[in-house]
Amino acid sequence: MIYKHQRIVFWVMVGCIVLMATLLFLERQRGRERILSLANQMPLDAPAASTEPVTLDLANDDNGSIHAEQRQMALPVEVNARVRALLDQLIAEYALPGSAHPLQQGSAVSEVFLLPLPVVGYSVNSAAPLRADGTPATSPVAADTPGPAPANPGGELAVIDLRSTFVNQHPSGVEVESLTLLSIVGTLHANIPQIEQVRFLVDGQPRETLAGHADLLRTYPSRDTATPNTGGGQ
Amino acid sequence: MIALATGASLAQSPAQTPAPAPPATAPLNRNIIVLDAAHGGVDSGSRIGDSTLEKDVTLALAFRLRSLLAARGFTVVMTRENDAAQKPGAPAAGNSALTLDDRAGIANHAHAAACLLLHATGAGDGVHLYSSELDPAPAETSVPPWLTAQAAWVSQSTQLEARIGAALQRAKLPLVSSRASVRPVDSLTCPAVVVELAPESEDRNSITDGDYQQRVSEAIAGALVFWAQQVKPPLLLAGDHAAGTEVQP
Repeated sequence: MIYKHQRIVFWVMVGCIVLMATLLFLERQRGRERILSLANQMPLDAPAASTEPVTLDLANDDNGSIHAEQRQMALPVEVNARVRALLDQLIAEYALPGSAHPLQQGSAVSEVFLLPLPVVGYSVNSAAPLRADGTPATSPVAADTPGPAPANPGGELAVIDLRSTFVNQHPSGVEVESLTLLSIVGTLHANIPQIEQVRFLVDGQPRETLAGHADLLRTYPSRDTATPNTGGGQ
Repeated sequence: MIALATGASLAQSPAQTPAPAPPATAPLNRNIIVLDAAHGGVDSGSRIGDSTLEKDVTLALAFRLRSLLAARGFTVVMTRENDAAQKPGAPAAGNSALTLDDRAGIANHAHAAACLLLHATGAGDGVHLYSSELDPAPAETSVPPWLTAQAAWVSQSTQLEARIGAALQRAKLPLVSSRASVRPVDSLTCPAVVVELAPESEDRNSITDGDYQQRVSEAIAGALVFWAQQVKPPLLLAGDHAAGTEVQP
C-alpha cells in the first residue's frame, strides 16, 4: 500500500524533473543562438548607417572553385577601412559552421595600406627651397627595379598585413591556401576597383608562404578569380 | 662533370660563308630531372590522416620516381634524400636547414629538363597538378629577377603539366590541373610543375599505398621520357651563353 504522502513526494519529484529538463533545453537553445550570433558578427571600424551590396568571392574546398555571392553590408567610407571590413566579413563567412572553406574564427587582417602605383620612394631635395612648413622638399625616386605602371590612372597597390594568429592556424595544402588568397584578391577586385595589385605581409614582415605552400612574397594582380565552370580543375 | 657542347659553331668550315648564328637559348640538360620532396625536418607540412605527415609521403614518392627515372636513363637531382632537409655540404652544427630559396638554387644549377615539386594533401583525391601563375615572358634575361624567374619558362611548364596530366588520365587516375603560386616555383629556371598527391579514395591512408604511388610514379616517369625530347628552352635576351648551348652530363 502506498501512502498519500509518498504519492505527493513522487509527483513533486516528477514535476521537478520536468521543470529542470525544460530549463536545460531553453538554456541550450539560448547558448547555441549566442554562439551563432558571435560567429556571424561583422567587425567594422566605422559602421555606416546604410547597407550596400558587396560581392564576396567565396571558395569551396570540395571542388576547388570560387563563386561570387552578393551580400548587403554596412561599409565605412574611408577606403582602407572598407578593405579591412570586406576582408573581415569574408573570413567571418569562412568561420561560420558548415562553411565550404572552413577557417578559424577571428580577425585576420591587422592593417591595410593602399599605395599609388608605380611605387616610388622619396629623397630629400636639398637644392629646392624649404616647404612652407619649414621641412625640406622631397623628390620621388624610382626603385632599382621599377614595378609595373598602373593599368589605369589612380591604380593602387593594396598591402594586406595579416595577423600571425590567422596565418599560423590556416589549414595547410596547395589548394586550400591558394583558394584563400584568390578569394581575397577576387573580393578586392570586385569591390575596390582602384586596387590593381595585392601584396601580403604577416605581422608587418614578409613571409614566404601562407601555411607552407601558397606564395606570400609575390605581388598578385587584382582580377576576377571566380571559377567560370564550377566543376573545378580540368 | 659538366661539359659545354658547342657543336653548331664547330661544324663550320673556313671556306663556307658563316651562317647567321641561331638565337641563344637558355642552357638545358635533357637528361636531368629535379625532384623536390617538399618539407622535411621540423617542417612536416600538412597532416594527412592520424599518423601520416606530408613530408613522409613526398619523400616516399620522390624515391619511387627516382628509381623509375634512373631506369629510364635520367640523372635525378633530389633536394633532400632523408627526413631533414639540409644544405649540401653544410656542417651539422649551426643553421643548415634547407630554405625554399636553397631548393630553387639546387634546381636552377642543374639546368634540368623538368623540375617536379612534390607535395601531398589529404583533401580531394587523385593527383593535383599546378604550374606557375606568372604571365609568360617571351625570353629569359641573363639575370632574371629571383621572384619571377619562372616567367620565361611558364609556357614550357604548362606544356609539361599537360603532358603529365594526359599520362595520369591514361592511367585512369583522378586529376585536377590548375595554376597556383607555390613557393619556390616562381624562382625556378626550368619547366616546373607542382605535383600534389592526394588519397586515391575517401580513405586518407590510401595515400601511402605502395601500389597507388607506383602507378602515379610510372605515369609521370613515362611522360617525362617523351617530354625530354620535346622541351624547348626559352631564348636568352642578353646572355653570355653560346648559341644553342645544351649542357651534357
